[in-house]
Amino acid sequence: MKKYWRCFVCNDIHYGLKPPELCPTCKVTNAYVEISEAEARRMMAVPAEGAAAFDRRKFLDAVRTFTVPNEFQVNPDTERVDTLLDGLTANESRYGLRYCPCRLITKDFAEDSKLVCPCNFLVHETYKGVARGECWCGLFVRRS
Amino acid sequence: MKKFVMFHARECPHCRKMMPLVDRLEKEEGIVFEKLEIWHDEKNADLMRSYKSVLAPPCGGQLRTPTFFNTETNKAICGEMPYEALKDWAQR
Repeated sequence: MKKYWRCFVCNDIHYGLKPPELCPTCKVTNAYVEISEAEARRMMAVPAEGAAAFDRRKFLDAVRTFTVPNEFQVNPDTERVDTLLDGLTANESRYGLRYCPCRLITKDFAEDSKLVCPCNFLVHETYKGVARGECWCGLFVRRS
Repeated sequence: MKKFVMFHARECPHCRKMMPLVDRLEKEEGIVFEKLEIWHDEKNADLMRSYKSVLAPPCGGQLRTPTFFNTETNKAICGEMPYEALKDWAQR
């Protein structure tokens, strides 16, 4: 069954059986994470047909799968992950997108699309070049 | 008198870690922070946005939490840090 996939670096959306290994837009490898059809529609500014509730387990499964071929993993600190999932749930419920709970939207859609989890944290100063790097919120940490 | 603001978010783990340190700083040094939650209070969110030109540059170009802001000097820092670092910044 075809699914929707989003490049966490540039927000490129792909619809297919599996994610592209190489993002055709930003050329980053292993960058796609599975997303819901509702999110894909929102990211492409197409009105969703019926609101879909945020499925925490499905999201966690999707990001865990997404991290497998990468140099980072989901933070093993489950308490922190739970807190962040609470925030993602609240933000998806209020704004229709999983905005990072540790950053504030500006109300500029293009700019705010960079805050949708998983975001392009490879450029965050908390991750880039940091041995025990993590994304700003700490959902993803570099593998030790 | 210096006036400090802590912009924080309810579901931000960094904020949860920093909150006890802020409380300690207030208790030990008499420094008072106005604590403003920004994801569940639109008024606070708008206030933080209104300071974007000051708050974003030292915070990776974004509005991040927690952000500590000295409204008198217009200086800001953000993220988790040791107690002494926050104290030094506040007393600078």
